[in-house]
Amino acid sequence: MFKDGKFKKSYLVYLLIVILFPLFVSDDYYQSVAVVIGLHAIVVIGLCLVMGLTGQISIGQAAFWGIGAYTSAVLTTKFGIPPALGLVAAALVPGFFAYILARAIAGLQGYYLAMATLAFGYMVQIGITEWESVTGGANGIIGIPSIGFFGETEIGMYYLVWGFVTLVLIFSLNILNSRVGRAYRAIHKSEIAATSMGIDVRKFKLSAFVVSGMFAGISGGLYAHYMGILDPQPFGMHESIVFITMVVVGGMTSIWGALIGTVIIEMISEGLVAASHVIPGLKGDIDTIVFGAILVLIMMFMPEGLVPRLRTAYLKRQVKKAEHGKQKQKERETVA
Amino acid sequence: MTQTLLHVQGITMDFGGVRAVNDVSFDVSPGEIVALIGPNGAGKSTVLNMVSGVLTPTQGEIFFESHRLSRVKGYEYPTLGIARTFQNLQTFDDMTVLENVMVGFHSNTKSGLLACGLKLGFSRREEQDMYDRAYQLLEMVGIATLGHLQAGSLSYGKLRLMEIARALATKPKLLLLDEPAAGLNHSETADMTNMFREIRKQGTAILLVEHDMDMVMNVADRIVVLDQGQKIAQGLPEEIQANPKVIAAYLGEEEEGGV
Repeated sequence: MFKDGKFKKSYLVYLLIVILFPLFVSDDYYQSVAVVIGLHAIVVIGLCLVMGLTGQISIGQAAFWGIGAYTSAVLTTKFGIPPALGLVAAALVPGFFAYILARAIAGLQGYYLAMATLAFGYMVQIGITEWESVTGGANGIIGIPSIGFFGETEIGMYYLVWGFVTLVLIFSLNILNSRVGRAYRAIHKSEIAATSMGIDVRKFKLSAFVVSGMFAGISGGLYAHYMGILDPQPFGMHESIVFITMVVVGGMTSIWGALIGTVIIEMISEGLVAASHVIPGLKGDIDTIVFGAILVLIMMFMPEGLVPRLRTAYLKRQVKKAEHGKQKQKERETVA
Repeated sequence: MTQTLLHVQGITMDFGGVRAVNDVSFDVSPGEIVALIGPNGAGKSTVLNMVSGVLTPTQGEIFFESHRLSRVKGYEYPTLGIARTFQNLQTFDDMTVLENVMVGFHSNTKSGLLACGLKLGFSRREEQDMYDRAYQLLEMVGIATLGHLQAGSLSYGKLRLMEIARALATKPKLLLLDEPAAGLNHSETADMTNMFREIRKQGTAILLVEHDMDMVMNVADRIVVLDQGQKIAQGLPEEIQANPKVIAAYLGEEEEGGV
């Protein structure tokens, strides 16, 4: 475990980067990339709680994201509700859906759980597309009001989104090393042992799903107000798989890993876009192929993910250093 | 005998067409160490799994104090006062040893999702309290120095001790131990025997499934003997040692080729 001081150091580095980024990068385009990274990071941290900690695979995370986005979009455009309240609903409604889903599939594990969440993802995307009277169908919704946070600027949105990322990050890191987080991790390792320790496995799986659904929903709501327009296309399996790739790359068991995985995948994605301007062959769904390859390679060579791998390497070096120091001391003693 | 803690009444367990346990009854009193012995395949672990709620008896009923265990949910067992260890170790490898034991405090603590996520004052105090008590339990079983290591890096014997500490964290009235001495060397077994006496002194009863006869004869107050799913004897250690049925069951084991 990390001592308090070390945690604080990582928080500090994180906050410095987040606060200073827009001051050094004033280009609107890259600021908008940073906003999107933040939006995805919120979803991915939630997915990390349910998948990495509790061990419940969800291939339908983009559905919660979409439900959140449409909830806030519909409420604000059709009923004139202020965006701030729309955001609250964007958290609650997907949370409710997550609750229903988790109740329904409580007994499922492994492949069956994966299939059920996959099916849920499809159902939601098709539902959004077909419910034209409310969601505008495939044409989507336009004219979603933006959230006035320090004016309607890119930089205001950046700080709003990353404020939410920070809250979600701290909340999740607190959970990780707490009674609830240990219950999640215990369920992941052995449901029998967890039960024998008094952990209500169903209840905790349920709460992990609901929290991850709410996080995704908040992100979806922010996304809707940020984009101003919505259509069902981004809320399908493709996006769900990208979220999973982000969690896996960073390291499923690490909350920081979820954040770092998101940043890495987004940067690769941006790199591909930039490369496609130069190399004409790199058009279309090239990112799907690249992410798929990354997922396979990570599974083969670094299944624990980047952050846990680096952490282990760091700890090993510390141990080596300590042993080396001891040996030197011994040598000195023998010489003396 | 005083009032009984655990009352096992005619339990039977069928796995498909195989009757693994047939009409077994016995009692455990508060603060008593009862050993469940028998040749391989006698049904000892099956009985333990029924008492701990992992399996539901096909017939019969188990009472714990005034509770019918068939009506108690698996995760409520520690709240009643029943804790267990596992024959094939069920540890949380990716947690530290201390964290493993801290999981044991789950049923006696309250911090929920919000309290933990927001690090409210009381959940912080509860966390600190769990940490301290987990450390004490590790001291008691003798592996406090390993507290900050990942459980996955510990040897088999140490993991067994960790599982016992984790079970004790639930403050059980009855501790179910499934072959705790398996894979331990002589001195480790002796240490463990002493530890069981210590646990009994603190008022916790133990139901022990064990192959190591030295340990069983040393520590058990009473012994229940199973053979091929049936109870063939029960009594004090010296009575069991002299019981011809028991001797026959053990000596006959090789002929029948235990499962």
